[in-house]
Amino acid sequence: MLRENEYYLGVDVGSVSTNLVLLDERERVAQTLYLRTMGRPMQTIQEGLRMLRSEFSQAHIAGVGTTGSARQLAATLLGADVVKNEITAHAVAASRLHPGVQTILEIGGQDSKIICLRDGVVVDFAMNTVCAAGTGSFLDQQAARLGIPIEEFGPTAVRAEHPVRIAGRCSVFAESDMIHKQQLGHSLPDILAGLCQAMVRNYLNNVGKNKEIISPILFQGGVAANPGIRRAFEQELGQEVVVPEHFAVMGALGAAFLAQEQLASQGGSGAGSRFRGLQLAETTFQAGSFECSGCANRCEVVEIFEDGQILARWGDRCGKWSAANKAVALSPHGAGKKTQAGIRA
Amino acid sequence: MKVGFPRAVYYYDYFPFWAGFFESLNLELVASPLTNRRIMESGLKKASDETCLPIKILAGHIQALKDVDALFLPRMVSTEEQTYLCPKLLGLPESIFPAVPQGMPVLTVNFNRRLGKRRLLAELEHFGASLGKSRVEVHRAFELGGEWQERFEKSRLKGLSFAESMEEFDPVVRPKRRKAEEGSQNLASATVRGKEPPAREGQGAEVTGREVTEQEVVGRGGSDRGVAEREVVGREVTERKVVGGEVTNRKVAGREAAGREPTGNTPEERKEPSLTIALVGHSYLTQETYANLNLLGRLQSQATVRLVEEVEAGRIAEGLRSQRKALFWSHARKILGAGSFFSRGDEVDGIIYLSCFGCGTDSITQDLLARVARREHKPYMVLTLDEHSGEAGLVTRLEAFLDMTERRVRRESDVSAHG
Repeated sequence: MLRENEYYLGVDVGSVSTNLVLLDERERVAQTLYLRTMGRPMQTIQEGLRMLRSEFSQAHIAGVGTTGSARQLAATLLGADVVKNEITAHAVAASRLHPGVQTILEIGGQDSKIICLRDGVVVDFAMNTVCAAGTGSFLDQQAARLGIPIEEFGPTAVRAEHPVRIAGRCSVFAESDMIHKQQLGHSLPDILAGLCQAMVRNYLNNVGKNKEIISPILFQGGVAANPGIRRAFEQELGQEVVVPEHFAVMGALGAAFLAQEQLASQGGSGAGSRFRGLQLAETTFQAGSFECSGCANRCEVVEIFEDGQILARWGDRCGKWSAANKAVALSPHGAGKKTQAGIRA
Repeated sequence: MKVGFPRAVYYYDYFPFWAGFFESLNLELVASPLTNRRIMESGLKKASDETCLPIKILAGHIQALKDVDALFLPRMVSTEEQTYLCPKLLGLPESIFPAVPQGMPVLTVNFNRRLGKRRLLAELEHFGASLGKSRVEVHRAFELGGEWQERFEKSRLKGLSFAESMEEFDPVVRPKRRKAEEGSQNLASATVRGKEPPAREGQGAEVTGREVTEQEVVGRGGSDRGVAEREVVGREVTERKVVGGEVTNRKVAGREAAGREPTGNTPEERKEPSLTIALVGHSYLTQETYANLNLLGRLQSQATVRLVEEVEAGRIAEGLRSQRKALFWSHARKILGAGSFFSRGDEVDGIIYLSCFGCGTDSITQDLLARVARREHKPYMVLTLDEHSGEAGLVTRLEAFLDMTERRVRRESDVSAHG
């Protein structure tokens, strides 16, 4: 059990946003941060820690979980107790906050996924393939092109009376289709609503193909902030779609729950969290890379330095460089069991 | 004459035949090196943009074969009755000519079993004549090729790894073994030989008493049934019983499989496998370690893995029974049959279909298999490779799939335990 002022920290470092969540002793969300990654994951994580530190100066972090595409990097930096993929993290958060949820629709900055749960267990999932059509980045881009703030995108779309039909299969085609409709004189709300519908159709045809979509349905990820998309989902599915309170940070929240589970399973074994402390905000992290010339594969090896010292390396196929860091295992089943020699040394 | 064979597409299924064929004709057949970044990149540059990843890799391997007198690029049309190989293979070798270095001679021959053995032999005789070989020599080569191919396929059916099965035909392929095993004279491959191995030094030269008894067992039974396989794991000799190709003790077999095929992860990182996952797809993807980002190895470090090549013809036919129409691509047929078989039984906990962009046959097969898997409530996931596949995407999906399957298995066992 946690005492007062003890928190679990969940960190989700995605392509577009970096989210941090603090979970308090009663499993309540004490703080959520939604930061833009801006292509600098390490600095953004540190920025987040700095913000947490200023607000929760007395806080003790009892456990840390990381997820997202840069989960490995985040785990190395922070000293995470658990590193999990986004699917599991999202599913855990959703089923803890909304027990009984059967379908999760998630649309983030550059990827989208669908997760089917039955009796609290993930039974099926799918992620979008390489193409980022119909994800947050595309909406961002279009909003910028039309000169409206992304926050007004959804509310404007909801005002539509006759949504136009836009090809949603490919974002390049969708854009030219939109321009064409604009030139014909359709109103902005109608075009935006049409775009929402196109995105939803595309999502259901690709990611949602062959999936059983049963209510209760949760819609999460950054794009869930857009009521236009939510409405398009409801129309297309003919069912209610719920946007949870912390929709934008569900991955981070899941990571925090997983950290809690992990620490609970370690129990009284004496092993505490491996978190390296909020003072990390003041450390200098640097990343570098080099091409290994050991064989014809010429792997690009990434090096992370902490105050000039090597913290970790990865990117090699043979393990010649990465074998040296024991910091966090790549295995999905928990870094929790591994030693942390690399970091402590 | 030294003839080069690219280590791509049909290499993974039919190299032993051609190795035996050329061996018998007294011609040296060498395969290109294992795929690496340079091969991949040169392949991407030379091959047509529109084609599939395996053909692009083929283009790279063709360019990697430098110190040979000629390239051998057969046109493999059909290797089994009633079926064809993939249309992109039928277009070889002409479709890949732009990747062939200037001045490099290309040898080719039609291999088409649909026309019957006589016509096939006539083609091969014609090919042999161009190399200055007589009819009799070609017939003998055809026999030896067939024997080698059969030995390779049997070895795969027994569940020996691709590397273990291939190593006697292609010296470049060496199964990774733990250091303790290194000196143990390739026991694993010796156990599957029903016939005398080809006379290559260091292999099969010493036949110990135990190996002889095993060969006798194989010879007497004439099939895989009831063969007790022994293998050396570390320094201990363990036994497992293979009954009709099905491993009776899954957990034990799993541990052995994981031990046999180290995977790039350090031994400490390997955890006790509790799941059995079927990895289905073309062998030139599942065994192409470079292009698939070591998917097979990653999977083997966390689960027992079953492959299409380990499923017998009878079970493939059984798996296909529910299909209304026969598939006429032999690989697609095997993948769908094996996948359906895995979907129905409870031998595997989940199925991963490894495919690649631009694969026409997979676009049909993966969907047909998805329907079967869904009907049977078997976890199923398609992974699609292309030339810029990032590790991150693959690892995330793999982790999530294993997490899901594990939680599901755990729940199902909970349910049955409580009533």
